[in-house]
Amino acid sequence: MRNRWISPKLGLVFVALLWLTGCPPPPTSKPLAPSSPGAESAQRAPGREVSQPSSLEAFRRGREIPSVPPTSRSSALKDIYFDFDRYNLRPDTRETLKANAAWLKANPSARAEIEGHADDRGTNEYNLALGARRAQATKDYLTTLGVSSDRLSTISYGEELPVCKEKMEGCWTKNRRVHFVTITVRPSS
Amino acid sequence: MARLFAPRPIFIALLTFWTWFGATPLYAQVKGLIVGPGAERFPIAVSPLKNLGQVDKRNLSQEIADIVARDMDLSGWFRVLDRSAYIEHPQRSGITLGGFDFRDWATIGAEALVKGGFEVKGENLVAEFRLFDVYQRKQIVGKRYTGKVKDFRRIAHKFADEIIFQLTGVRGIFDTRIAFVATAGGRFKEIYIVHLDGTEKLQVTKNRTINLFPSWTPDGRSILYTSYKDGKPGVYQFDFFSKKKTSFSSRKGLNLGGRWSPNGKNVALTLERNGNADIYLLDRKGKILRRLTKNSGIDVSPSWSPGGDQLVFVSNRSGSPQLYIMHLSEKETRRLTYTGGYNTSPDWSPKGDQIAFTGLSGGRFNIFTISSKGGDSHILTSKSGDNEDPSWSPDGRYIIFSSSRNGRYHLYLMRANGENQRRLTGSNGDDTSPSWSPRLD
Repeated sequence: MRNRWISPKLGLVFVALLWLTGCPPPPTSKPLAPSSPGAESAQRAPGREVSQPSSLEAFRRGREIPSVPPTSRSSALKDIYFDFDRYNLRPDTRETLKANAAWLKANPSARAEIEGHADDRGTNEYNLALGARRAQATKDYLTTLGVSSDRLSTISYGEELPVCKEKMEGCWTKNRRVHFVTITVRPSS
Repeated sequence: MARLFAPRPIFIALLTFWTWFGATPLYAQVKGLIVGPGAERFPIAVSPLKNLGQVDKRNLSQEIADIVARDMDLSGWFRVLDRSAYIEHPQRSGITLGGFDFRDWATIGAEALVKGGFEVKGENLVAEFRLFDVYQRKQIVGKRYTGKVKDFRRIAHKFADEIIFQLTGVRGIFDTRIAFVATAGGRFKEIYIVHLDGTEKLQVTKNRTINLFPSWTPDGRSILYTSYKDGKPGVYQFDFFSKKKTSFSSRKGLNLGGRWSPNGKNVALTLERNGNADIYLLDRKGKILRRLTKNSGIDVSPSWSPGGDQLVFVSNRSGSPQLYIMHLSEKETRRLTYTGGYNTSPDWSPKGDQIAFTGLSGGRFNIFTISSKGGDSHILTSKSGDNEDPSWSPDGRYIIFSSSRNGRYHLYLMRANGENQRRLTGSNGDDTSPSWSPRLD
């Protein structure tokens, strides 16, 4: 389910470019202009794809695993949480996903990679399959909310990339999550 | 812990052996002690080897004896007598019958005795060992090994395996290796191979990502493992002889695990389509032969029966992860575990009769065994951290697993009935997902 717009290596290059120029901008900073005749950037130059770092890229670089809790003031796509060994969407996560769907609709050129994660209890292999389920359930729901499925890709990291490392329920709750990596097109200047 | 368990097949094997070969005196002693209540250990002395050559620069006399002694201890059947109690001088007494006094050993309580000699010539080592019955004053077996000096550990393990063979009828497993995942003090998970005695550690992957689930080919020449080195989980193969890593399965979605069939012709592996993980049968090149599970639930972690006609695997089709057994020809699947709400990571014993797995009990993960016919389940670990990912020894007598009982995850060895739990690794990182090699000759 790897997306076809941006290869992992290319993604790394973009991210590296971003880091060279400082912190990545908030993903919502520049909703793209609609591709009307007046939107010259979209017409003449398709622009440059800009991806937030995935959890794996952050991990490789020794950075904090990214998370955007539902309480975050950022207008970016927010994480959602799951119960132990479950991949059904709880009522509260459906509300978060509705907001995420609205953002995606307002930013039609943006795409998202949906990362499924699990807490570290249980077996790594089962948890990888569980993460895939969580990502897929999220993708399916966003699709029913009207987001085109070809704008959404999924990947599972199982229990491998926790945002919280202590062995306690407070941490496990945060780790049983779906995180979104947004990929936006930034117009060339 | 011993009281929890009824006598196990391991003891039956001992009895059978005595029946076949007649009760030579040492076996009678072993029988009386090992099968007795509480499984008392059989007292054995392992004398430092006699140097039959030049100066022993490497202290092989002691080192080789240490290795044999440790193997005897790890086997769970022997109590190795402390060397400080030994009376005779190993360099001055003989190593054959008549060359030493059995009373020196009977006095300190030894019922079996290992003696030996060695000679170093350049890079080459000749070592001979003898196992004696102290009460009957007889030699049970003698063996001579020749090899390179640098291989002295393997030579020692081979004689330890021979002792186990003499006393139980099945060769020991001390000359084997373990593949596992280690963080080694960093944050990356890499694959390592180490000899069962902790030496000859080899780092297989160095891609600074996440590498998981190593498992051996039946010939011990290569391993399969799962890696995120290309951004998403793919299954790769590492060949020990060519030292090459090749992609085995890198299909869309998850590619996970992979276990070789006992005949080395097929691989059972987990692939994911649209969020649904299922088990597939692949050929030895990684080509899909057929999909084995056609279920809307999660299906992962296949392990072959020794006959290669069945697979045990994990499925949550009933609502929680449980073990199921599939007959490949009959296309029939039955549920194996009914107790507990979370049973995963099965490994089918090479003897065929039992399946080890990880189960959740009382909020902790522990290692269990269950009869492959169903029922007769035993918990082998308890009250000590989380215990996960069991893997059987090639003789089916031991289980290696990962435990957090001392904080971080390390690898531990235990007998198949849960006795004699010993730590094998102790790095400053987490050691997980062990896979025991086949016998390596």
